[in-house]
Amino acid sequence: MGQLDYINHLLILLCIYLILAQSFNFAFGLGGLFNLAHIAAYALGAYCTAILSTDYDKSFFYCLGVSAVIAAFFSLLLGAIAIRLSQEYFAVGTLAFSAIVSSFLINWKSLTHGVLGIPNIPRPVIGQIDFYQNSNFLALLVGLTALIMFLFYLLFYGRFARDLKAQAENPYATMAIGKSVSSIRNDAFIISSVFASIGGSIFSYYLNYIDPSSFTLAEMVFVMSIVVLGKPGSFWGTIWATTFLVLLPEPLRFVQINASILGPMRQLLYAVILFLVVYYKRATIFPQKREV
Amino acid sequence: MDILPQLLINTLITGSIYALASSGLSLSYGLLKILNFAHGQMMTVGVYIFYLLTAEHGISVFAAFPLTMIFTLLLSTIILYVFILPFSRYGIVLPFISTLALATILESLISIFFGVNVKSLSTGSFAESIEIGPTYYITPIQIIIFSSAIVFLIILAFFIHHTKFGRAIRSLSENSYAAASLGISSAKVSLYVFGLSAILATYSGILVGYETNIQPTMGNIYTIKAFAVMILGGLGNIWGTIAASFLLGLIENLSIGIDIGNWSLPVGYKDAFAYFVILLVLLFKPEGLFTRAKRKT
Repeated sequence: MGQLDYINHLLILLCIYLILAQSFNFAFGLGGLFNLAHIAAYALGAYCTAILSTDYDKSFFYCLGVSAVIAAFFSLLLGAIAIRLSQEYFAVGTLAFSAIVSSFLINWKSLTHGVLGIPNIPRPVIGQIDFYQNSNFLALLVGLTALIMFLFYLLFYGRFARDLKAQAENPYATMAIGKSVSSIRNDAFIISSVFASIGGSIFSYYLNYIDPSSFTLAEMVFVMSIVVLGKPGSFWGTIWATTFLVLLPEPLRFVQINASILGPMRQLLYAVILFLVVYYKRATIFPQKREV
Repeated sequence: MDILPQLLINTLITGSIYALASSGLSLSYGLLKILNFAHGQMMTVGVYIFYLLTAEHGISVFAAFPLTMIFTLLLSTIILYVFILPFSRYGIVLPFISTLALATILESLISIFFGVNVKSLSTGSFAESIEIGPTYYITPIQIIIFSSAIVFLIILAFFIHHTKFGRAIRSLSENSYAAASLGISSAKVSLYVFGLSAILATYSGILVGYETNIQPTMGNIYTIKAFAVMILGGLGNIWGTIAASFLLGLIENLSIGIDIGNWSLPVGYKDAFAYFVILLVLLFKPEGLFTRAKRKT
């Protein structure tokens, strides 16, 4: 792998995780929705795109659109159950949902090829331009990520974000000023899942191959450590934390280390960082509730 | 062949394992009001230590068992003081994050030290089936699982309902402020209960290791199953949790055993079906199936 390829690879990963982390930050950081099914939405996007583009030869925008719609549909379904519950039940419900999704990824062999995964996912072709070159793909992805980040910027600094923060801090006060807490939560949940599924689509286009092992709880812990390190609810914090954490384990690549423990080492690193951040920042990481 | 009696036997076995794994979690939830996402991973660590002692160092089972339990107690103390208590004052989300981080830390440490491959506790004559009916089978290890679960649960029942310490546990989980104001030390009781919950988890992990096999990622499944059972039985309600354990075992075994027309659920979906049941319970009866009204103070 040439040096340029390596830098391209890192930048592409960075873009994918920016989308994934910022969408999680939106629901979790601003809205306090401890959504452990975020990776399930990511997986849905990745698998929809993989299946549509290999078995049905669908185009880039078609795949992205259908993935987003399916993720939105599933989050509506899950939202109907989970949104009304208290935080601990919400966490367990979303955890159960993500376990259902991964069980389907492993067992629905005719559709998802089970643990073998889906190989040979073609890179997108838009009009006359193909994105088989990593540099072309990176250009497309940077444009898309910039667009999504801009949308999130508007969302983070707009009126909806204030509603979302208000319901996280005090749902009763929010209801008292005539806002529907459950519809605010539902909207945030759907927005977050839709962007996660777009991140998943891009992930499967980039790797050309996906299997269920990319969508485990460890990945959820990684996304959570990004958001927690960048301070939950902070737009810019998530951006720098993504950059930092995606690049952090890269030196491990150049150390002589047994390849089989590289994955667990990476997981361990992120989990330890996550723990250290919540340990040292535990008093201030979530805003204290204000008296009404 | 009528498959139902065999399914019921399997239900008792699965239910026993779930009951052992989740009763500790339920007890510690009642006290600490924290969902411990690392419960299944604590189980995994315990069984891997047991594996290390018996299979790799050749220590006899009867010596390895107490050694594993001592290690489990030490580990649970560290976990309680480092990963749980510092966060318990700051709302409910921070302990989620810290125990989730702990779960990943434990899982990746096991993968690093033992490798990711499936391992098995050598069972020898334990695994040979005994015919107990015309076509029904049970293995000695399954008899041990079921009978030890019954013994453990009876001891637990006696302990909770007929000792002074048990009364302290019940009063703290019902109303921690009132109990503390009567001079019951929450810190001390929490430590003992968390240790107990870790021991129950490790024991059930060892049983799982003998019954099937062990791998670093198994903890996650048992964490979710234990949560499922707790939700089914009502959070923090230990007898509800135990009843729900056997109910979940029954649901899982029936889901693959019963034919609808000529179609039956493929075995791989057994777990998914259990999680689906949790979502249904959350939707229609989020307070759990066996919850009684709380006493007011």
